[in-house]
Amino acid sequence: MVETSAWIFFLSAVLATYVWRFAAVMISHRIEANHPIFEWFTCLAYGIIAALVARTLILPTGLLALLPLWHRLIPMALAFLGFYLLGKRLWVGIVFGETGLIALMLLNELL
Amino acid sequence: MKELKTNPRAVLAGIRNALGVPALLLFAAMTGFGSFAQEQGLSLYMSMLSTILIWGLPGQVVHVELYGMGAPLIAVVLGVAGANARFMPMTLSMMPVFDDSPHNRRWNYFLAHLISINTWSEMLKTGPEIRADRRMAYFLGFSFTCMTAGIIGVLQGYILFESMPQTVSLCFVFLVPVYFGLIMSNTVHPPFLLAFVLGCVLGPPMHLLTAEWGLVLTGLITGTLAYLLRHKLQVLLNKKEDNG
Repeated sequence: MVETSAWIFFLSAVLATYVWRFAAVMISHRIEANHPIFEWFTCLAYGIIAALVARTLILPTGLLALLPLWHRLIPMALAFLGFYLLGKRLWVGIVFGETGLIALMLLNELL
Repeated sequence: MKELKTNPRAVLAGIRNALGVPALLLFAAMTGFGSFAQEQGLSLYMSMLSTILIWGLPGQVVHVELYGMGAPLIAVVLGVAGANARFMPMTLSMMPVFDDSPHNRRWNYFLAHLISINTWSEMLKTGPEIRADRRMAYFLGFSFTCMTAGIIGVLQGYILFESMPQTVSLCFVFLVPVYFGLIMSNTVHPPFLLAFVLGCVLGPPMHLLTAEWGLVLTGLITGTLAYLLRHKLQVLLNKKEDNG
């Protein structure tokens, strides 16, 4: 019984995600490829993903919530600095951010 | 990008480009998800299927979270739908990449399932540099590599949850906002950048206002604003260039 309900919940979550993709393909088949509306869609996607990133950072759930806010924001700022000042290399940004995170955690333990 | 003469070569190019930061990201993010699912009592089997069948981390997390809390089915459906609604505009904006490809249009329903922030931004960036008839093969190679890395991540996160030091888990979890923050802000198109910046500012307060639809509302407001201002932005930028 518990098993069945777990699967119903799971499959509903699967459908609740796929329905967006499905609807989008259906709509896209009815619009011309170079229609300006596609630029609007991309803007929407950027806005949503940005909100997601900011939410994960500022109002996190789970493990990240264990860290104080400045503990998340400073490493993020470091990642951006490393990325944009040193030739826009992704791994440089990531190394900067993660190093900042680890350094702050170590510092916190010492103090 | 090199001329990709055959489909197998395009698949290989996709795999090669995914192996590296994109696969690492999926591995790290899904490790976090695996640990979380284990903690909340989801079975290992379902946790791995979740990555394959939902393929959208925020929705996966909401599903596990609400299910673990014993929330009603309708809350799970709306919560997941809200968290993963970005796939609608993302899929819509990516479909033109495949327009000149010779494949049967029905395949698009499958290709759409493979879209994630990772694969989407890769195709928007690299897609136009690839011959139109090789894009689908490239996308499949790239996406399946990312998905495989994600499944391995879930497995190891689920199994190693208790023995993994918290510092390591935190590094994995923190990688996600860093990676997406960097790749999304790194766009040369002014309206996209504006949508991104406004989304970062408006996202958290909107989440406090409505946890389920905060993301969607933020996207609608900031994306539409950026889209409406796109000509003004262009004029502004041109002026700057004239002055400088």
